[in-house]
Amino acid sequence: MFRLGVNQIARTSGARNYATLREIEGRLKSIKNIEKITKTMKIVASTRLTRAQRAMTSSRVFNQSDKEFMENADPAKPEGAKSLLVVVSSDKGLCGSIHTQVAKAARRKVEELNGNVDIVALGDKVKAQLIRTHSEKLKLAFSGVGKEAPNFNEVALIVDEIQKLGKYENIEILYNRFVSAVSFDPAAFSVYAADAIEKAPGLSKYELEGDSVAETLSELSFANSLLSAMAEAYASETSARRNAMDNASKSAGDMINSYSILYNRTRQAVITNELVDIITGASSLE
Amino acid sequence: MFRQALRQVSRQATSATRRTYATEAASSGALKLSLALPHQTLYTENEVEQVNVPSINGDLGILANHIPIVEQLRPGLLEIISKGGQTEQYFVSGGIAAVQPGNKLTISAIEAFKPEQFDLEAVKSLIADAQKRAASSDEVVAAEANIELEVLEALQGVAK
Repeated sequence: MFRLGVNQIARTSGARNYATLREIEGRLKSIKNIEKITKTMKIVASTRLTRAQRAMTSSRVFNQSDKEFMENADPAKPEGAKSLLVVVSSDKGLCGSIHTQVAKAARRKVEELNGNVDIVALGDKVKAQLIRTHSEKLKLAFSGVGKEAPNFNEVALIVDEIQKLGKYENIEILYNRFVSAVSFDPAAFSVYAADAIEKAPGLSKYELEGDSVAETLSELSFANSLLSAMAEAYASETSARRNAMDNASKSAGDMINSYSILYNRTRQAVITNELVDIITGASSLE
Repeated sequence: MFRQALRQVSRQATSATRRTYATEAASSGALKLSLALPHQTLYTENEVEQVNVPSINGDLGILANHIPIVEQLRPGLLEIISKGGQTEQYFVSGGIAAVQPGNKLTISAIEAFKPEQFDLEAVKSLIADAQKRAASSDEVVAAEANIELEVLEALQGVAK
């Protein structure tokens, strides 16, 4: 019984020697494949990044006129009214902490506003994160956005859909602001309702004609801000993905190094063992 | 066409009662134009002589030292006269033009193209198509077609 057990152990350990070699070889191969994939993804993200940055710069300029008007008019934020949080993110992962950051910022904002909010999520990742904690506040979610730099048509459709939820006095758009190629931080755009714009103290600086100017401004500013937010979020996501893939490729390179050393050592050990076996066998025959 | 004119008249009638005047005095210097599209920036604070803007309240010629205004654009021809006297024309589908305090004119248009980039034949066929849909019994389809017609008819007068 005992002898049998010992036998089995010896066999498995002996067999494992060869299997380990093959196992290491297999693992080495798969790491090499992963490295290839992450490298390719990094290159793809790099090429997309320049395009994303270009889209972001032009959307910043597009948003500028609106921003300047709001700074001059300086509408007051209505107190106590129900707010709408639009959280901008995307469907795809493998880009570091980008979705977590914006989801965290959204949770902080909900706390700040004492929970008197409705949430709209753009992108599956952030939807999945917010539905865990604020499922009753999540009113609407979009998927399939943020795959590429946003265009105005897409944004207008989203805004139309959001406005079907009803009127909100205060709308905040949360997104990841693109700071540099290596950093981003969660930021927010405020969109003012038509009433707030009409009551703004600085509005008299401008000459206005017609009734609907405030409403048009409010709607356009919503679309503008969302476009800008989506362009920034896309740029930060792409750069975060580039960095994540860069790190992954580096780690894969490190692992490949250590595994090839291990592989060679094991191979040599196996050869030495076989030689020892052959030599002992030969010498016992003499 | 007539309906559009009617609408414009009625709009002007209401606007006459609700006109607010700017309190901010305009500053001196040249007019700085920023013309931005969502996907492209055409002008960034370039100094220009005059800009003719198609607004829903009628066409506006904006020179330097204009008082701050905010105007909604209608589909039409945007003319930019540079310091040297050359005229650049763009057809815009809509947007907002705002003269900011500090002699800055910022125009946010959704689309802007030069008139020579349009194909008149294509415009005509699109008009025919939109007219068909404007007669539809579905209110949403008809409303969309009417908006399309408004843009296309303005475009027809501009395209070469």
